[in-house]
Amino acid sequence: MKSHAPTLIELQHAIRQSLQGGVDGDASAFVINEGLDPQERLGIYRNTSASVLVTALQLAFPAVRHVVGPEFFEGAARLFAAEAPPRSAWLDEYGADFPQFLAQLAQAASVPYLPDLARLEWRVNLVLHAADAELLEIARLATLGEAELEGLRLAPHPAAQLLRCEFPVDAIWHAVLERDDDAMAAIDLADGPVWLLVQRTHGDVRAGRLSEPEWSLATALFSGQPLGAALAAASGAEPHTLLAAHLARGCYTGCRLAHETMALKP
Amino acid sequence: MNASVVMPQDAPGRIPARAGIGLRFRHHQPVAEARPDVAWFEVHTENYMGGGTVPRYLDTIRRDYPISLHGVGLSLGSADGLDAAHLERVRNVIDRVEPGLISEHLSWSVTGGTYLADLLPLPMTEEALAIVCRHVDQVQAHLKRRILIENPSTYLRFRHSTIPEWEFLAHVAQRTGCGILCDVNNIYVSASNHGWDARTYLAALPPAAIGEIHLAGHSIRGFGQGRTLRIDDHGSRVAPPVWALYREAIARFGPIPTLIEWDTNVPALEVLMEEAATAQAILEEHSNEVACANAD
Repeated sequence: MKSHAPTLIELQHAIRQSLQGGVDGDASAFVINEGLDPQERLGIYRNTSASVLVTALQLAFPAVRHVVGPEFFEGAARLFAAEAPPRSAWLDEYGADFPQFLAQLAQAASVPYLPDLARLEWRVNLVLHAADAELLEIARLATLGEAELEGLRLAPHPAAQLLRCEFPVDAIWHAVLERDDDAMAAIDLADGPVWLLVQRTHGDVRAGRLSEPEWSLATALFSGQPLGAALAAASGAEPHTLLAAHLARGCYTGCRLAHETMALKP
Repeated sequence: MNASVVMPQDAPGRIPARAGIGLRFRHHQPVAEARPDVAWFEVHTENYMGGGTVPRYLDTIRRDYPISLHGVGLSLGSADGLDAAHLERVRNVIDRVEPGLISEHLSWSVTGGTYLADLLPLPMTEEALAIVCRHVDQVQAHLKRRILIENPSTYLRFRHSTIPEWEFLAHVAQRTGCGILCDVNNIYVSASNHGWDARTYLAALPPAAIGEIHLAGHSIRGFGQGRTLRIDDHGSRVAPPVWALYREAIARFGPIPTLIEWDTNVPALEVLMEEAATAQAILEEHSNEVACANAD
């Protein structure tokens, strides 16, 4: 217990310990004790803080919540919030590590697809809130020569994400959110892996399945590999046909030629 | 920076001295489509930091209404300093929305790089006053705009506080040139919780600095043995004694843009419009009284 007047930083560290860990030592000693105990007063803030973070995770992981049930979800979310609190007040970006947390949660092990479902929902959340950006005009590529195309690098659209899952969680996600029990019952968990492109088009977020060759090509392009190298590594008989079909999905925003260091405007 | 700094007087989409409504997601579509008769809307800055559908709705609504931005995340009272990345996100939202007013809170939420997800109370000390003033200066310099600071609702006080909250707030306004967002419900809640006189609080605020008023509902929570606290949960209609205090605030400050806030169990837009109509009637009563007094 401290008896001196704390500096502001000492006070704020003590309150953080009280709110996050429930360790009330110094924080209580700094609070006037009248009517209600300092612990009761700090508890009001602790409850608000926890419920704000639980709500943020509920909004980002609605299908996970439905699968495990609201009570289990709240318990897991509270544990996660205490262990891995957000770094800023922009809570749309809070929860990136929640799928990994669920994967390590022993009580959730009976639902083997849960971490994959959470990974999908996190990608959906990212795509939902991603920055707006223009689409790459594919026609522009037709004006380039073969050598220029070889060295061309594409910039993925902010509202496009690639994901590979062991389980068919795209089907599970749809069935859960639409409360479609028949569709849920028809899902074969062995029907995996799935290669997904999560994408926002006209405001709606969709998780579409890609073939494995297209997903591999997309992964190479998303990572910034030049077009030539990505195509050379592509499997399948018709890599150029695959590329054309892939580009038509509208998941790139810009491109740059081999000698350019700055991205071209789309 | 100090009180003499030049701030744009006529911000784009100026907020009128009328009653407005806090806009929440569930009302985006009805407002965008039906364009109800509401003088202005206020949104939480942090809800519009990304892209996609949500800010696009606000773009649409902004074409028909003045918008005020109310932030919860700058943490002006953090001893660690401001989060530059968050301030930049706020600026991006301002660039997109062109708000008539920008406000934040007299509180803190971030320490050691962790966001604690609540508006936490500050000790009312000279050290905290200097820190808040430095951060308000930095924010106003970065945004090139005057901001308003809202008085908090609080559930505890610190032993080492030396300055009454109302004086603290007046000092911040005087030293930085910022305005004050006078939350009348918060004054009522804090005064009830700490045994302060709400009238003393109102009387200490400099009228020229008041840029906006907030009104909201609160609840009473029991802690056993007859012990209660008033909790600022924004989940009900404005309480009768808060309306009474609001009349006194308008009598003292004159007609000020007034916002109805409702954040938990958000009701139908019609309920919010009823609350706004009550505030509007009080604003107009005041204007009529002033007009009559001038005519005499």
